[in-house]
Amino acid sequence: MTSELIYICAGSSLVGLALYQLATDGDMLLRVLSLNVLAIGIAVLIFASARNAGVTDPVPQAFVLTGIVVLVGVTAALLALAERIDEQDNE
Amino acid sequence: MSLAFDILLAFGIVFTAAAALRARDRVATVAGFVVTGLLVALSFVRLGAPDVALAEAAIGAGLTGALLLRSARRLKQVENRMSPPVHRFFAALIASAFAGAIAWAVYTASGTAVYPALVSERLAESGVTNPVTAVLLNFRVWDTLLEIVVLFAALVLVRIVAPAFPQPSVLGQLMLPFARIIVPMCAFIAGHLLWQGASVPGGAFQAGAMLAGGLLVLLLGGFALPTPRLLTWGTMIAFAGLAVFTLAALGTEALTGTLLLYPDGAEKVWIIAIESALTLSIAAMLCLLFCGTPRRAMK
Repeated sequence: MTSELIYICAGSSLVGLALYQLATDGDMLLRVLSLNVLAIGIAVLIFASARNAGVTDPVPQAFVLTGIVVLVGVTAALLALAERIDEQDNE
Repeated sequence: MSLAFDILLAFGIVFTAAAALRARDRVATVAGFVVTGLLVALSFVRLGAPDVALAEAAIGAGLTGALLLRSARRLKQVENRMSPPVHRFFAALIASAFAGAIAWAVYTASGTAVYPALVSERLAESGVTNPVTAVLLNFRVWDTLLEIVVLFAALVLVRIVAPAFPQPSVLGQLMLPFARIIVPMCAFIAGHLLWQGASVPGGAFQAGAMLAGGLLVLLLGGFALPTPRLLTWGTMIAFAGLAVFTLAALGTEALTGTLLLYPDGAEKVWIIAIESALTLSIAAMLCLLFCGTPRRAMK
């Protein structure tokens, strides 16, 4: 249980860091990156709570895997939009 | 011993994430993020989720890192980007309160897990022996179908917005020997991950990401020119995976009367067919998400 507690602390710290950065940073790249850190933190929290007698629940594993793939799509879309906004500001 | 490792790893994860977010230099920021992703993948192994660890290392750290690095030089850096001190103070207060609350909630949450028993009970009927693959491609395959739709929607959006194609600078003499080793290795490992996903950690997403990595080496090394024709073919392959998956869903509806309920005894064949199509399609999609579009590629 102690190792789960360690990862719960790590996961929630990542969530806290990402939320702080999202609230205070005006830089678009850093915002997209914070969103990724937030997702990673939540994944760590999910796994830390999905363990039972040394076995990790396969259903949350499938959810997090889905989340990782969706997140890369979201990241690509957001970065494409951010680049476009920057181009328009320059014109 | 393992406890010391866990503490060190957890500290490393939080430290690299904080360093990445605080770094002034953008390349350092992205590098820090990639290291965080790899350390988190290691923590997933420690938490008993090797399938997700593979995906996090390949997609979460590798391909997302490549995407961020691509945009790092294109997006102009905002001067004085941080909010005023009062704003930052309250943001820090609320963020730490939220983090504390979430840690407390997760730690004290109780209740019995219902899924592990259900999954292990029906695992023999799923056609595969890896429980995560069984969930992804049999028990909750509807989620996976929609996930491919989401990825395809992102690809459509990227095509509409049309970011410029990355212009790789001329690389040194070692690029060719490097590509000669790494590209066949990527294809080989992707095939291995795809096949072994039925019984041990691996699967279509990890294999697709691996293949996408190999393709990016070819594109960025200048070995394959991103002509409009090539990129159109890529989009076709990306769409083919979604089409095969949708047709399979309709086929199961016709054969068994239930959407995505595979015919008895033939589950493995259906799963392997869908996964193979998905691997190629995911590789193409991830590559195109990085590259942008034919429209402005050759300007």
